[in-house]
Amino acid sequence: MQCSFNTVGQALIAKLRGELDLHTSPQFKEEITKSFTTHPQIKYLIMDVKDLQFIDSSGLGVILGRYRELEERGGRLFFVEANPHIKRVLQMSGLQKISEFAGSTAEVLQRVEGGQL
Amino acid sequence: MAERNWVKFEFPSDTRNVAFARTAVALFASQLDWTLDELEDIKVAVSEAVSNSIIHGYQLGAGIVRVEVEYEGSKLTIVVEDYGQGIPDVAQAQETGFTTIPEERMGLGFTFMHEYMDEVLVSSEVQKGTKVILIKEVPQRPEG
Repeated sequence: MQCSFNTVGQALIAKLRGELDLHTSPQFKEEITKSFTTHPQIKYLIMDVKDLQFIDSSGLGVILGRYRELEERGGRLFFVEANPHIKRVLQMSGLQKISEFAGSTAEVLQRVEGGQL
Repeated sequence: MAERNWVKFEFPSDTRNVAFARTAVALFASQLDWTLDELEDIKVAVSEAVSNSIIHGYQLGAGIVRVEVEYEGSKLTIVVEDYGQGIPDVAQAQETGFTTIPEERMGLGFTFMHEYMDEVLVSSEVQKGTKVILIKEVPQRPEG
């Protein structure tokens, strides 16, 4: 599993590649927690899951943990380019109810920067 | 007579083996006529069962996880077994949102297993271990 992070204003873009499970989620948790700490202005988390091939409840738990932090900051959570399998897991977990699916990172950034959120 | 085949394997309680277990089971299961989505569902269910053994059965410590996969005709049966600390209340453990580690986990492991498989049977004995049986049948598909 590989993850990369990019900050644009109040948005943190987390790009995931590979499989997020019990083995790989601690690394992801450590890195995303570091990004949240380093950038206290972050209000919007954009999860680019285009290249994420697998996720189970271990990976979802880490994302939910970050959502709770976003909520405290009055922020929002987005999933970009989720494949049907990832979408289904997100829907079933209930994470979909507290997040939004978007077609592209650019689209979300446009809304963030345009003050539409 | 319905065609039968099986495979059995065991591995140490090491988080790296979760991916191996789900991939190996899916590879074996692909001898049946699943759609790609159904194979993904099977992978999630196995991932959850094996993760439970490692996190809860062995508390991320040492132990052995045993997996048996068998099909007879179109019915696939997967057994995931550990010899760890066991579940004191099996019914409660299967409730959505129930978790013993609330800051880390969503309590969705069994929910996913139930959702993605036709049947989930859990038997457990404290200090002896837990056995999870996951059953799924290839759905009837329209001809052509």
